[in-house]
Amino acid sequence: MAKIVFEGVRKTFGDFTALDGIDLEIRSGEFLVVVGPSGCGKSTLLDLLGGLSTPTSGRILLDGKPVTGPGLDRGIVFQQYALLPWRTALGNVEFGLEATGVPRRERRARATEFLDLVGLTGFEDRHPHQLSGGMRQRVAIARSLAYDPDVLLMDEPFAALDAQTRESLQDELRRIWQRTGKTVVFITHGIEEAVYLGQKVAVMTSRPGRIKEIVPVSFGERPETAAVGTGTGTGTGPQGEELRSSPEFARYRHEIWTLLHDEVARAQQLEKEEASV
Amino acid sequence: MSTGTDTAAPAVRPAAPAPAGEVRHAAPPPRPAPDAGHAVRPARQPLRALGRRLRALSLRSAAILVLLAVWETAPRLGLADPTFLPPVSEVAAAWWELLGNGQLGRHTWASLVRSFGGFAIAVVVAVPLGLLIGWYRPVAALLGPLLEVFRNTAALALLPVFVLLLGIGETSKVSIVVYACVWPILLNTISAVGNADPTLVRLARSMDLSTPRLFQKVILPASVPAVFTGIRLAGAVSILVLVAAEMIGAKAGLGYLINASQFNFAIPQMYAGIVTISAIGVAFNQLLVTIERRLSTWRVPS
Ligand SMILES: Nc1ncnc2c1ncn2[C@@H]1O[C@H](COP(=O)(O)OP(=O)(O)OP(=O)(O)O)[C@@H](O)[C@H]1O
Ligand SMILES: [Mg+2]
Repeated sequence: MAKIVFEGVRKTFGDFTALDGIDLEIRSGEFLVVVGPSGCGKSTLLDLLGGLSTPTSGRILLDGKPVTGPGLDRGIVFQQYALLPWRTALGNVEFGLEATGVPRRERRARATEFLDLVGLTGFEDRHPHQLSGGMRQRVAIARSLAYDPDVLLMDEPFAALDAQTRESLQDELRRIWQRTGKTVVFITHGIEEAVYLGQKVAVMTSRPGRIKEIVPVSFGERPETAAVGTGTGTGTGPQGEELRSSPEFARYRHEIWTLLHDEVARAQQLEKEEASV
Repeated sequence: MSTGTDTAAPAVRPAAPAPAGEVRHAAPPPRPAPDAGHAVRPARQPLRALGRRLRALSLRSAAILVLLAVWETAPRLGLADPTFLPPVSEVAAAWWELLGNGQLGRHTWASLVRSFGGFAIAVVVAVPLGLLIGWYRPVAALLGPLLEVFRNTAALALLPVFVLLLGIGETSKVSIVVYACVWPILLNTISAVGNADPTLVRLARSMDLSTPRLFQKVILPASVPAVFTGIRLAGAVSILVLVAAEMIGAKAGLGYLINASQFNFAIPQMYAGIVTISAIGVAFNQLLVTIERRLSTWRVPS
């Protein structure tokens, strides 16, 4: 059954059309990656799904019911981290749990556990300004995972990370997704990231944002549902570097690159024209 | 140095290490350089910190010591008329005498009760009011120009009005302090709420927090620094306005002491009053800065 359905969704800001004619179905437990040129409306799409804004026309269904506002069934990882600067890393993770009414003692334990999951053990008592960009991002990820929403909405969550951390968190995210069966909508600029993570990759057009094409991604032998073990890249099928350097991977990469290329060029052209007016 | 009243007080007051008035945002630019893992500042060596502190302290006291030295020598060398500017040692003697005969205590107490009373009332009224107005943006937009007008109407210009309405007693003096203190607090609080990081508000909304919760968990803590800037401004204003008010129709208070001393040509006593007011102003500001630091340890050290 479709978990999330976009039906002819349009979103305008004044007379600027950010999104137009978005039709999209996301199955329950699916991992959808959205790629598109900067400013094409990816964050806007996520906002609509998160219930933080409403479509100008069309509608969005979640579990068959129209989205009317935010809810704890969806967890958002914001592009700008959105950490509370007066709280420590631990306090920030607990923030999500307070909203769900988890008792205090358990909150602390859960928050510690999830900070550990994103590799931030030992940094519990640091305030955001004492953390690097990548660490802040990981705190935000831990926060949204900790309160266990059905749907994870992630807006370029790994953008500020170095390659190693990013890759290990990608594997971690895949593992969490496989284990919990969450539905994930993941926005990224990275084509490799999209191919590596997504079951489907939706490529968007720029100005107005539309879904240009949805590319299903599958690597035959990849252990999609089986338990993957503990460490990074210890699965039964190709994982990590092995998968990234496989010819199939390169083919998907190229396909999406080609789809994006035209759009990025067009977006830059549009921006230039706008700037010269 | 013509009137004396204006010169000593501001000269002694050191500039407070004022943090900028804006609320700081947690969000850095969306894509900083990838630098996970080594951005945590090492703890500063306590010894070096102590050394720096001592140096800062001696630097700050140096200026004051120079001022005192000039104050002492200028009248003695005939650079200033000792009748109008007695050497600081004479002022100190007068101060000591006033302290001894209880006059200084009595006047200081009268002033403190009025200014702290008015200040406290202003805080209690203006902070919640500011939070409320700031939260309802249309209300803030509607009242904004009006508040600007009130803020920019010098409180002392209204003193005759207050006296007219409330008489010459304590009520009018405390009221004028309240009035003068309310505006900086109110305006700072309103803008603090308005400037609360929108991403944080979105975060809270995405978690379906109720408005009171949102207020308690996001808006309020985010506003603390800017609100405190307003409170500190009000602290300075409370003393400023009160002293002036006490110069008109009062029987006690430091403003009265200064004015009466001048009238009776007790010039050292007059300066003793002025110095006391400076000291109170500095101490009060220091106290507020300390509280502010306590409440906002999380802020990016500037
Ligand atoms: N509240 C708003 N008011 C007016 N315009 C907006 C608003 N929010 C977004 N836009 C515009 O809508 C377009 C899409 O914005 P959005 O943030 O969704 O882009 P994006 O795809 O997430 O970009 P990026 O990859 O750079 O994050 C942009 O042109 C932006 O200027
Ligand atoms: Mg975006």
